[in-house]
Amino acid sequence: MTSLLATVAIPDLLVFLLGALLCLVGAVSILTVKNPVHAALSLVMTLFGIAVLFIELQADFLAAVQIIVYAGAIVVLFLFVIMFLGVDREEDLAVEPIVGQRPLAAVLITALMASIVALGLVGHFEVGPATQTGMLHGGAGNVADLGRSVFTTYLFAFEATAGLLIIAVVGAVVLARRNNPDDHVAESQVEELA
Amino acid sequence: MNHLALPTVSYAALAPILFLLLGGVALMVLSALSRRPLAAGTVTGYSVLIGFGALISALAEYGHVNGAGPSSTVASAIAVDGFSAAIAVTVSVVVILASLLSHGYLRRMQIDAPAYHVLALTSASGAIIMAAANDLVVLFLGLEILSIALYVLAALNRRSAKSEEAALKYFILGGFSSAIFLFGIAFTYGATGSTNLQVITRTLGEGVAAKPGLLLAGLGLLLVGFFFKVAAVPFHLWTPDVYEGAPTPVTGFMAAAAKVGGFAALLRVLLTAMPQLSTNWTPVVYSVAVATLIGGAVLMVVQRDAKRMLAYSSINHAGFLLVGIVAATSAGISADLFYLFTYSVTALATFGIVTMLAGPRDDDAGIDRLSGLARRHPAIGAAMAILLLAQAGVPFTTGFIAKFSVIEAVVGHGSIPLAIIAMASAAVAVFAYLRLVATLYRTEDIATVDLGYDDSLTDGPAAFAIGLSVVVTIFFGIFPAALLDFGRTAVAHLLP
Amino acid sequence: MNAYLPVFILMIVGILFAGLSFVASGLLAPRKKPTAAKLAPYECGIVPEREPPQRFPVRFYLVAMIFIVFDIEIVFMYPFAVVFRQLALFGFLEVAAFSVVLFAALLYLVSNGALSWGPAVILTRGMPSRTSESTITRISATKSTDGQAA
Repeated sequence: MTSLLATVAIPDLLVFLLGALLCLVGAVSILTVKNPVHAALSLVMTLFGIAVLFIELQADFLAAVQIIVYAGAIVVLFLFVIMFLGVDREEDLAVEPIVGQRPLAAVLITALMASIVALGLVGHFEVGPATQTGMLHGGAGNVADLGRSVFTTYLFAFEATAGLLIIAVVGAVVLARRNNPDDHVAESQVEELA
Repeated sequence: MNHLALPTVSYAALAPILFLLLGGVALMVLSALSRRPLAAGTVTGYSVLIGFGALISALAEYGHVNGAGPSSTVASAIAVDGFSAAIAVTVSVVVILASLLSHGYLRRMQIDAPAYHVLALTSASGAIIMAAANDLVVLFLGLEILSIALYVLAALNRRSAKSEEAALKYFILGGFSSAIFLFGIAFTYGATGSTNLQVITRTLGEGVAAKPGLLLAGLGLLLVGFFFKVAAVPFHLWTPDVYEGAPTPVTGFMAAAAKVGGFAALLRVLLTAMPQLSTNWTPVVYSVAVATLIGGAVLMVVQRDAKRMLAYSSINHAGFLLVGIVAATSAGISADLFYLFTYSVTALATFGIVTMLAGPRDDDAGIDRLSGLARRHPAIGAAMAILLLAQAGVPFTTGFIAKFSVIEAVVGHGSIPLAIIAMASAAVAVFAYLRLVATLYRTEDIATVDLGYDDSLTDGPAAFAIGLSVVVTIFFGIFPAALLDFGRTAVAHLLP
Repeated sequence: MNAYLPVFILMIVGILFAGLSFVASGLLAPRKKPTAAKLAPYECGIVPEREPPQRFPVRFYLVAMIFIVFDIEIVFMYPFAVVFRQLALFGFLEVAAFSVVLFAALLYLVSNGALSWGPAVILTRGMPSRTSESTITRISATKSTDGQAA
């Protein structure tokens, strides 16, 4: 770890720390705030922090995508669901469905964190940040590289994504379709009134 | 403008995937463009045709590989080998049978038939993608295509709260396991520098790194993701609830397709990408296999609901399939291929019969409803009895050959204790199956509740599919040589 | 990394602006606390009779879903556009296949009424227009509304 720190320039380290801090503060406040809308906004903070980390990794395009797709669209979807279920719904978080699950969760999370840190210390990394492995093409823009690998190495994955999106669309329509009898009556009444 | 080496695409090799995926897209467009809702019969026929198209193209691919040997296509993202062709054959058969079995059900429950078939077809293509994936990213996409469609399919019965509950449980736990799997991919990529299975195995062949912590963490997380998908103990807790709550034909499809896709990918990753780590993964798979064999069999005995019982039975089968992986030889893989095919056919047909018994609202599959079934409806009762005996592994059925060849493979590998545990668990499971068969043939306490299947008896497609499955189960139980050879040849042409 | 310096400065300016706005409103706002009547939703001076609806119709969700699907398509389009000349016809065909499939998804959404607002008539497509159960519910529903009208 010390050797790793020695090779990292100070600005890089600061940017990483800023990104990590944003992620962690956001993640913790998702769990602690009471209002679900605030939790969704805390998620935006976490996702923004991840975008900062992408920038630190020289993945500028992914950072932009992270903000546009995740912080933008996905969180909007989250907010719709929260609105759909009712904002003022309150859950009693003090109840433990399984006795002792909170202390157990704390222990497990500590163990998980410890093992992640241990992995960082003892693991052998073949790939890593630009500060370790050098920049791609001297750091001159990586959108073109991304485009080339999407259409060569990952061509099949790219096309399979279309299949995944199809399922998302059909699934959303099937699940959102209103077909319980009460709605049906309401609709036919509307029809008659019209 | 420098030249870019564009990948070559062998459309013939991708044909089974393309048939199912584009078949699903085309059905979606048809249902969107037609003025009147498509008739259920038309959609079922269409689905069966697509399944046949996939089956024929899979067989053609199999024949081609037999001549030309294994290769890969689309920039080495997809393996063109006997193994993927054999799985494609299995999945195509699953699609055909599942379409026939769901026909009457969709009509009876007034479920939007095109939506069901679009999801089932795309989901099946995901299973083939998983089996053919030669890259962890492609494998993950296949897994998600398979799983997300299954989450939605589980929720299709909007009249039943249990169905929605099942879908929600499956979705949340499945999403969690997918995330764990993705972490596994990320760690493996970090440790080996590639997501391509052949590059990974080449990297490992140059000597496992001096500090393999990251690699092993990646392997462990991948295994957890796989074990969840194939419902191995202790990652099985979702299985009984989801199998019970999901619409019964969907349960059958899920039991077959998810298992086939999951095991195919697990076999490929462990045996072609990470054989060098076998000293690390064998103990894990071994102990999970033991837990799955025992847990599935013991918990099957205490179930009061046919769908839950079959869920634990599928867990027990997963244990046998894991035994084939422990063997880690070509005999083990070909035994697993045989097992996957025969299990899929039997399980689908069994759930097909349960569909008929689960009542007009598909909400009660209690075992007492089956009481004396064979007395009232001898044909259905006999079919059910044969399918249950096949699952139990009684001689002259495919179940026996499947279990036998898996155990033979593991004995050949030298793991005698595992073989003994597998046989013991089979014996416990036989008890549960036989008790159900005895219930079918009871003479007193014949269930007088309205079984609600008189309507389904005229359900021609389902009856045909069940009859076909019974014939397959008995025929390949008596003459297994052709199917066993099919599996062996497939494994002989496995992309290294 | 230097390219992000303006972004960083903008972020700081944004934080300062937001923070100073709070400070300013604290200094400049009237000290009086608003009354309950002032906080009530404005309905032309009439006291609101019922709670405003707290829930969104699920159709908003479908629109958001369409948005995400095409958002992801754009994400793939952008790198494609950058190397479009190198990829030549091959890349164009692959992107075309991708887009056609997504267009099929749009077609499905539109035909299922995801984009039609107003009474949800089309949304029940594929469902039988009348069953004995729905007729019974329907008659009783009509009666109850008649009762209210009378």
